[in-house]
Formats: sequence, C-alpha cells, structure tokens
Amino acid sequence: MQSVIGGVVALAKGFATTLQFAFQKKPTVSYPNVKIQHAPRFHGLHELRRYDDGKERCIGCELCSIACPANAITVIGAENTPEDRRSPGERFAARYEIDELRCIFCGLCEEACPTDAIVLTPRFEMADYRRSSFIYSKDRLLVPQDAGKGTAPDERPNGIPSDLGSVIEQKSTVDIMAGYGATHRGEILKTERKGLAG
Amino acid sequence: MSARVDVKLVNLTIDGNPVRVPEGTLLVEAAKAVTTDIPVYCYHPKLGPAGLCRICLVDIEKAPKLQIACNTTVTEGMVVHTYGEKVDAGRKAVMEFLLLNHPLDCPICDKGGECDLQDYSMAYGASASRLADPKSSKPKAIDLGPTIVLDDERCIVCQRCSRFDEIITNERSLVVKDRGQRDVIATASGEPYRSNFSGNVTELCPVGALTSKTYRFKSRPWDNARTHTTCTQCSVGCALNVDERYGAITRTMSDEDDAVSDGWLCDRGRYNIAFYGDARRITTPMLRTPTGEFVQIGWDDAIERWAKHLRDAVASDGADSIAAIGGGRLLNEEILVLAQTMRALGVTHLDWRAGRQRQASPGAYGGTYVDLETADLVVAIGRPPSQTAPVLDLRIRKAVRNGARYVTVGSHPSDSFVVSSHLARVSDLAAHVESATRVAFVWDGIDAAVGAQAAELAESLAARGTHVSTFVASEQSNARGAEALGMSPQNGSADSDGIFAAARAGKLRVLSLLGVNPMLHHPLGASAIRDAIERTDFVVCTELFLTETAKLAHLVLPARAAFEKSGHVYDLAGDVLAVNAGHTAPEGTLADADMLVALAAELDVTIAAPDSLHAQASAAIVATATAFGDPKFARASDATSETIGSKGDARNGVRIAIAANIFSGGGSVYFDERLAALRPSPTATFARETAATLGVHAGDLVDLVAGERTLVGLVAIITDTAPSGVVTVIDGLPDAPANEFADGETVALANVRSAERALTAGAV
Repeated sequence: MQSVIGGVVALAKGFATTLQFAFQKKPTVSYPNVKIQHAPRFHGLHELRRYDDGKERCIGCELCSIACPANAITVIGAENTPEDRRSPGERFAARYEIDELRCIFCGLCEEACPTDAIVLTPRFEMADYRRSSFIYSKDRLLVPQDAGKGTAPDERPNGIPSDLGSVIEQKSTVDIMAGYGATHRGEILKTERKGLAG
Repeated sequence: MSARVDVKLVNLTIDGNPVRVPEGTLLVEAAKAVTTDIPVYCYHPKLGPAGLCRICLVDIEKAPKLQIACNTTVTEGMVVHTYGEKVDAGRKAVMEFLLLNHPLDCPICDKGGECDLQDYSMAYGASASRLADPKSSKPKAIDLGPTIVLDDERCIVCQRCSRFDEIITNERSLVVKDRGQRDVIATASGEPYRSNFSGNVTELCPVGALTSKTYRFKSRPWDNARTHTTCTQCSVGCALNVDERYGAITRTMSDEDDAVSDGWLCDRGRYNIAFYGDARRITTPMLRTPTGEFVQIGWDDAIERWAKHLRDAVASDGADSIAAIGGGRLLNEEILVLAQTMRALGVTHLDWRAGRQRQASPGAYGGTYVDLETADLVVAIGRPPSQTAPVLDLRIRKAVRNGARYVTVGSHPSDSFVVSSHLARVSDLAAHVESATRVAFVWDGIDAAVGAQAAELAESLAARGTHVSTFVASEQSNARGAEALGMSPQNGSADSDGIFAAARAGKLRVLSLLGVNPMLHHPLGASAIRDAIERTDFVVCTELFLTETAKLAHLVLPARAAFEKSGHVYDLAGDVLAVNAGHTAPEGTLADADMLVALAAELDVTIAAPDSLHAQASAAIVATATAFGDPKFARASDATSETIGSKGDARNGVRIAIAANIFSGGGSVYFDERLAALRPSPTATFARETAATLGVHAGDLVDLVAGERTLVGLVAIITDTAPSGVVTVIDGLPDAPANEFADGETVALANVRSAERALTAGAV
C-alpha cells in the first residue's frame, strides 16, 4: 500500500516539474529575427586591428600561429621599407591567413599577440557555400583604413562594442546592423545594404 | 682528445659527480662530461674564453667569490657547484646587466626562438627590469655589408663576431667601437663588412644583433623543417643543415663537423640558395626544333629520343661516335649509373673534365683535413684554395694559427690573409721544406707538369721521413668521385679535349652533357665548344637553367639540384658524405639518376641495383691510387707551365692569370637574385709597378687581347699582393668568359679608358 502511495507521489512530483517548464517563458528565439545576447567575452570571428595613426598593429611575429592549437593561422613576415611602411617596427605580416573552419575560437591567438593586433569579435555568422571562402586572408581580417582601428575586447562590455552606446538586455531582439555587425564587416554590410536599398 | 699518453689527468667534483679530465681543461668543457650545461655567451669552443659576459658563473668551494667557468682551468680536488641559490643569484645579477639596455624586440627578431639570451633570461633572469630611466637607444637595422644586418641595441658585446674575424679568418675587419654603453660593432675601416665567411658571425652571435640579409624575416626558427645534408657547392663537403618552409629553402646553417668543415661554412655554401626557387628553372624537357626554337616535350618522349639517338649512332657509326661529359657535379650513384649505362653501350669517350682542372685524386699521400691543420708547412700550388675551397682555406689559417708557414706557388695573387711567402716555381720550395716535419700540399689539379714537380718533391720529402699529405682542391664538387667512378678516359679513349675535337671534325653523333657548362668553363673556349656542339647530330644537356651550353643543346633535360636528391658524394679528402634531399624539387624535374635509370631501361641495359650503388661507389676510391700530378692527366696542349710566374715584359704584354672566385659561375650563382651584390664584376688585377709601367690606373676600363680572342671592359684593380708582370682576371663570369685564355699566356693590353672617360662614355 505504502509503495503505491509512494509511486503516486513520485509521479505527481515528476509531472509537476514538467508542468512547471510548460508555463515558463520559452528559451527558443526566432533566430535570425531575434538573437540572444552573447556572454561578455564571446569568441567569434577574428579581426586585425590598427593603431591610431592607421598603421597595422600586426608585426608578423607568428606568435599567434605557434600558439594556435588548431594550426589554423598562417603568417609570413616581410620587411617594412621606408616607402611602404605598414607597421611601426621593421617587420610586418606580408601574409596573414586564418582558416576559420579549423579555428576552435579558443582565443589563444589573442592572448599570444604582443601588440593586441589579432582580436576575436562577437561576430559569428560567417556561413558560406565554399570551404575556400573560410580561409580569411588579410583583406578580410584587417580593419580597412577608413573603418577605424578595430575594437579591443576590453572595450566591448557584454560582448557588444561600447561604441554602440547601449547595452542590450539578455535575450532581447538585437538589430543585426547595430549588434553583430558592430565590427568593420558590419560597416561594410551596412553600406552594401544601403547600396541595395538605393 | 689528444693521442699523447703523457697527458696528466685531474680529478674534480662537479655537482657531486667525480670527473677526470686532462690538465688544463677549462671548467666549462669539463662540465660537459657530466652533461651539465653552463650558460655561455662569449665563450665558444672554437674561439676560446674571453671572460666578457660573466654569465657562466659557478661556485667553487674555498673560492671567496663566484668564478667564471669559461676562463677557469680545472685543478686537482676542485669541488664545483654549477647551480644552487648562490650561483643563480649571481647569474640573475649578470642577466640584469645584460638585459639593461636590451630592447624587447623578441617578436620581430630573427633570433627569437633560438636565442641564448631569451633562454637564459627565462632560466635566470628577473621577470621585470628595475631600470627607471629609458633604455639607451642605438642604431637598428644597420647595413653592415652585403650579407649582414646589424642591430646595435641587441648586441651584448660578447665579441664572438670580432674574435671570429680575428682568430678564425684572420681578416681582422670587425671591431668593437667606442666604450661603455655606447659600444657598437663596426668594421675598423668603416667600409662594408666583406668576407667570404661573413655568414658564420650570424650563427655565432648569441643574440639577434647580427642577422643574415637573405633570411631576414623569412620565417621563425620553429617553422623550419630541417634536413642534415652535405654542401656540394665545392669539393670540401661541409656539413650543412637545410631549413625549408612552405616548399622554399629559407636558410642553411652549419653543423658541428670537426672532421670536415670544422663547424664553418663559406658564404657561397650558405647563401647560394635562392636559385632553387628561381622562376627561370627549367621544369620540362625541351627539344630543339629544326628552326632552332625549343618546344616542351614529355619525359617519356625525351628519354625515348635520347635512347633512339644512342642506339642509331651505335648501329650506324659504332660506339666511338658517342661521348659523354659530366659527373663532377653529380652524386656518386649518378656517376656510376652514367658510366655503367654508357660503357654497356660500348662508349669509351667519357670524361668529367669540363673546365681547366685535369686531376682530382691526390695520389698516394692523400691526407685528411686534420692532417692539413696539423702541418707545419702548407704549400698551395696554382689557384689559391681560398676561392676554390674556402673552408679548406680556414683549415690552412688554423694551421698558421698553430704555427705553420703558408707558402703559395704560382702566378695568382694570394688572398688568404695568412700567406708567409709567395714563390714563382715549385723548385723554389727547396729552402722552405728543409726544416718542415709535416708538409701539406694543396694543388688546384690544373697544370699536370707543376703537379708532377710537387709530387716529386713530396716523394723525396716522404723518403726523408717527413709527413706528407696532399690535397686537390677541385673546381667541381664531386670531381674526385667522377674520376674514381669511371667517368674518366681509360686506355687511350678521348678526354674532353679529344671529345670536342672529334665533334668539330664531325665524327660525333651523340654527345651527352650532364651538369656541365663547357661553354663557360672549358679551356677550348666558347667558339670552339659552340662549333663542336653544332657539328654534333644530337647533344643532350641536363641542367637546372638554360645556361650558355644548354641553349645550344638539342635536348635539354630539367635536372634536380643538390638539396633535391639523396645519395653520396666524395669530398676532396676522399670521405664519403651523405647528401639528403631537404627541398621539394619543382614539378617536372628529375634527378640525373632517375633520367639515367630510365635511359638504361629504354636501352635494355642492365645496371647495378640501386641498393648496391653506394657500396660500389665507396669501394671504388680505394682502387684508384693514381699519383699526384700523373702525366696521363696532362693536357695535350699544356705548354704554359714553364712560363707561369716568370716575369713577363710588361711593355709588350702581360701574362694572364685566370683566378677563381667563389661567387663566379654561370649556374647557381648567376641565377640567384639574392646574391647579386656578391657576384664579382669582370676585373683585371695588376701589381702596382706593372700598372705603372702599363699606364693603367685603378678604375680604368681595359681590354685584353690575344690573337683573335678578347676580354672586353675589365675594371682595373691595383694591389700590392699581385705578382708583377701578371694581370689576373676572374674565371667563369658569363659577362666576360675567360676560358679561352690559357693560364700564363701573354696577352696585350688594349683600349685603356680612364675612369673619368669611362664614366662619361657610360653616361652617354
């Protein structure tokens, strides 16, 4: 008899737990119209930053490449010439490539970088149709000369660059242009959209 | 270790381990016996102690203070601690001084990753600097010379570079300028640092102060895939490490090798690497069409054509209508396959001699490199080995450092920095050999008559009980192997002179040239060789580039260079050295061995199994004990030996001396973009009084004429070291090929243009 009562109680407890979730707010959001706020130090697509004077921060030292546990980074250095000075020192990265398919977004490159040149942005949407398009070379990684200098991770509270002004609430609807497009690629996207609209 | 038995051994304790080493051993060396690594910067086993950097501090019991291990000799009963709190504190203090003004350049420094300063700073250094003031700033990225970049801020003034330049090369151009925190490395004269051994200072430098221009920012040390191999640029055979990254050779580095290179490399061996990846390399077999154009063909087609021409020639005119020249730049295995394939067809006209050199084997008294450095008299006959075998010259300089005298014989200016006296003839040597107990002869292998005189002298010295060792510094790296492995004429068959003569007479149907460029190097001269090739039905040439000779051939086969194939070579002392492929060869190229094996298969010729080739090659050298200066190697037209060195009448003409230069040649150096600054320009070197008699001034442009042959536009150089009555020109320059001139013949000076006039002419 006792065991029957015990069983019914246990059953009731179980259903109660299930029922609780049925009345809770759903965690599923209708992506991509609604997006979930990042963790504060979310690791997304890379970006190569510049100094205030427009020079590249990257000196081609290859420390990111050797720190990378996935072997995703290729750097080939070259010497700056007085006529074509890319970075402040003697050396710059003639080639800088990241295979984003190999990348595990661990952020060790960011940590190894002696000049804070390579950073991981919050941007994670990089779907494409060809594998080859996931090899990001300098032309896509480096912040363009006219798109600022890039944003350091610690200038980005809650994973959204501070220059956006407002911190977006957990699980809010995020404007793709304002949030995830906050990197220089977002800027490009904006102009592209404008171009399309016009 | 010395072989003498009277060496007194000393007992001491290092870190609790009992050690027995010979008396006089330095503590830093004794510690190596118990595998304790004492940190060093200024000390180097080849350079000895200097006591400058103080990082090697060790604690010796009963000594009041820490002592430097590099300059302390062991004593009986010494108790040494190479680590511990006291030692670490001492080294930490030294590191603080060394790092005081050292810049934080590590991420962009070429040394970063293999830097002793980095390593010991991690082991002993403090994590932060206590220096409150800014670091002293010094010039960076200074152009020290054509090969070296200097960063004065990184220098810790260990003086390894300047001591190398003083002790090892004896050239004494690098010095430490200024004192205290302002001290910098510079040349004493203020001129660019030029040396044939300059690259060694970049390896000696324990920090990133001296770096190679050719390697600058090419890669970081950990990127390089390293292959140990042997340098085949000259006949010395230095041990070499080839570093490759992404399919391109980034650099080469020396290796510990006391038996052959003594741990050094010359700049030709070290820096001549860019040609491997040069876009001008041939990567597909090319066939000359009847209109004279080259068309690309496939490998099967190429080998079939080669085989067909050989078969047809044997069938119609017999094997005497076929000849092959080559081997001096090939591997032992390749030489054997070549000789076996040709001899199987009945071909006897085989020769390796594509230049001036006639003989490569040193005869019965052939010595080792160690014999050379322990000699008390070194005699160099003919071309100075400083240009044909540079690292051999470092051995000679070592012998001189050990007290030997260095005598050069012949008409070439001696440029070794350590020459005691210069003689015109071998017969003048009598006075010098009188007191010598260990004599080493280094011959260039060119003039058989002079070689024979030297051999006679060596014979008489050996009969008297004098230790004699003989060496031939060859033009081609594996000439000794080629001579021993069947690529030399036997039983009266034609040598290369005879082969080209037969070709000019129209008697030759097929001529195979493997890795040789007779147009630039053969003493018959370019016009005769061109004539010979044009009169031959089918000329096959295996080459890396379209050289002067390859351009004339009917079939050009793209070959692989030394770092792209594996096998063995002989060095000039007769050692068999392994060559290992360390670079991915361009697609479409084949090693000469592979071409020859395919040819043999096409011809249905049975050759030795590949596995047995190395054993056969190693056994062959024992079988060829030819005498030094054997007359059978003499050139039929050699009549100049008597006149070499005799004083010519400068008013009527001068005797021409054809000198070697380590950066001359029409192949690997000519097609190496990075070596442009090192390639010599065509020059004519005169002794001061000869120039005065002739009215030539330094910088003048002169032409040399002998009959129909001319050398045009040579820049006059005037030195004190050149013999009088002689003009020295550089051999093997594609812009001014001197191979038509016989060494020692009289030439007339023509069309002397003064430097100003030449400049004006150039401007117009």
